[in-house]
Amino acid sequence: MQLQLEYFLLIAAALFCIGIYGLITSRNAVRVLMSIELLLNSVNLNLMGFSNFLDPLGIKGQVFTVFVITIAAAEAAVGLAIILAIYRNRDTIDMEQFNLLKW
Amino acid sequence: MLNSLYQTVWLVPCYSLLGTILVIPWSPGLMRNLGPRASGYINILLTTIAFLHSLLALPIALQSSTQYSSFNWLETANLNISLDLEFSQVNIIALILITGLNLLAQIYAVGYMEMDWGWPRFFSLLNLFEAGMCTLVLCNSLFFSYVVLEILTLGTYLLIGFWFNQSLVVTGARDAFLTKRVGDLILLMGVVALLPLAGTWNYTELAKWAQTAQISSQTATLLCLALIAGPLAKCAQFPLHLWLDEAMEGPMPATILRSTVVVSTGAWVLIKLQPVLALSGITSEVMLVIGAATAVGASLIAIAQIDIKRSLSYSVSGYMGLVFIAVATQQETIALKLLLVYGLAMALLVMSIGGIVLNNISQDLRQYGGLWSRRPISGVAYLVGATALVAFPPLGGFWVLSEFVQGLWKEHPAVALVVILVNGLTAFSVMREFCAIFGGEPKAMTVRSPEGLWALVLPMTFLTGMVLHLPLLLGVAGLLPNSGSFNEGLIGMLLLSTLLGGGLAIYIYLNDKITKPIVLQPQGIQDFFAYDFYTAKLYKLTIVGAVNLVSQLISWFDRFIIDGIVNLVGLVTVFSGQSLKYNVSGQTQFYALSILIGVAIFCFLILL
Repeated sequence: MQLQLEYFLLIAAALFCIGIYGLITSRNAVRVLMSIELLLNSVNLNLMGFSNFLDPLGIKGQVFTVFVITIAAAEAAVGLAIILAIYRNRDTIDMEQFNLLKW
Repeated sequence: MLNSLYQTVWLVPCYSLLGTILVIPWSPGLMRNLGPRASGYINILLTTIAFLHSLLALPIALQSSTQYSSFNWLETANLNISLDLEFSQVNIIALILITGLNLLAQIYAVGYMEMDWGWPRFFSLLNLFEAGMCTLVLCNSLFFSYVVLEILTLGTYLLIGFWFNQSLVVTGARDAFLTKRVGDLILLMGVVALLPLAGTWNYTELAKWAQTAQISSQTATLLCLALIAGPLAKCAQFPLHLWLDEAMEGPMPATILRSTVVVSTGAWVLIKLQPVLALSGITSEVMLVIGAATAVGASLIAIAQIDIKRSLSYSVSGYMGLVFIAVATQQETIALKLLLVYGLAMALLVMSIGGIVLNNISQDLRQYGGLWSRRPISGVAYLVGATALVAFPPLGGFWVLSEFVQGLWKEHPAVALVVILVNGLTAFSVMREFCAIFGGEPKAMTVRSPEGLWALVLPMTFLTGMVLHLPLLLGVAGLLPNSGSFNEGLIGMLLLSTLLGGGLAIYIYLNDKITKPIVLQPQGIQDFFAYDFYTAKLYKLTIVGAVNLVSQLISWFDRFIIDGIVNLVGLVTVFSGQSLKYNVSGQTQFYALSILIGVAIFCFLILL
């Protein structure tokens, strides 16, 4: 069976949707961050797929991926720091307890 | 000298108007230490000037023919409204009557209003009336007659509402204004409709136009009915007569004026309009019916009243009904003579009654009695007024009424009988009042009743003299009917009705064997007349009720439907804002979901 770009894209899309689902439904803030990582990784998968199938010589997609990974790491760090800061104040990381800034 | 006075007789209304304005400084609120009296004296002075002016203009007026003059009041695109004035014998006599009666009423008021602070307001309104009526008789234009009638309506409102801290005064003034206003407004419709048809508002030209006018009978009927509506209300004719009854809440000197001359203003316009009214046969019949119904009905009501002022006020309506009949049967001269005779006699009656009311406090006929020996001057004045009002030779009423009845007999014998009946009823009514007040034993209210002050008695005696001399004056002026043309049968009936009515009243009310107060069987009939055919209830149920209902409905519609629709827009906006804010849930994940859904929909739309 010949591997095709579509499979990668489908896998990535599936992963992205799973990440979305987790992002919206998780009550735990850390899990929200984890879901965001899933989203980023699905994007990386896309980038890699496109890079390999459409730009095998330039591989700009791989360069993008490297940037995304590094930025994602930094973002996760900042995210965890924010969660920690909220936890210190409110003793919880339940997303449903954070609805203070409403109407 | 006299000629120049005749030329400037148009100044007569201006004197009174000047008086109206001049006395304002004496109002209690303006000059606190002046007191009210000077306002009365100033107005009497100006009225005297007006009276003398018109009196001195009379000799010239009797010799010269009618003169006209005209000022331009307004000139716009296609409309030229001019203030037309007419100086004729009749006008000058009317001026003398108005200013003379006003002078007497004002001197009377000096005595009557002794214990009152409101002289400036009272006298300025009296003079406003005088100015208005003098303008009315001088002006020869239907438009300006209407203008003056409206000013007089306002004057009536203010004058009846003089003692405005009494609740009945307030309602009476309200009714007087609204009732007369309704009539005036319908008159305005007629006035406006007349211009395109006749092209003029000048009475003289209207008369010429009416001779050759070619208009459909329907138009003529509607027009003439509208034109009589104003005088109908002014003269307190059925069914717009309740205001005069309620207007008796006003001060007595004003009543003198109102009962005699103000109600005559409507009749004056009616007489002036007679050539136009003759265009429509139906209108003449309507006037005839209204006049006859009012004359008979009001005379009957007058008999059933216990309030002396109201009893006289219904006699006023009754006599105005006779004027209506005279105009309807094209006897304007009779109408004018009737106004003259009636005006003087009724003024005398009201003056006599005013003096009685002033120091017996009560107006209730049942509480009077036995004043003949104590109040001879008032009694004689009343008797003279009463006999001059009805057909009793040799006084004025006899000549006018007999001429009237003879004129009617040829074409409208039934109406002539109505006039004779009214004469009898009025004779009964005035004699009943006379016997109740002056006859019998003194009652608690009348035990001590001195004759009034000179200011009350002087005008009364002077007017008595006038009334007594009136037949002579009429004879000099050649206004008495020719004795050759007398129809003895009719005159006999007229005299008989007077004697029967008066005699019956004397028999009933001076007879101790008949128990007073008299109660008719069944009592419903008596109440029916005593409560004025329940006119107040009738108004309340019909016009007032309907207008009230409609205005409440409209007010409700305005408040809830119209206002509601506009408010609903605001309400919906507020409500949507209030409910849509819950989109800002404070849940970051919800925001993320919204973004995703938005993107998804957008992509979907793009891809579609």
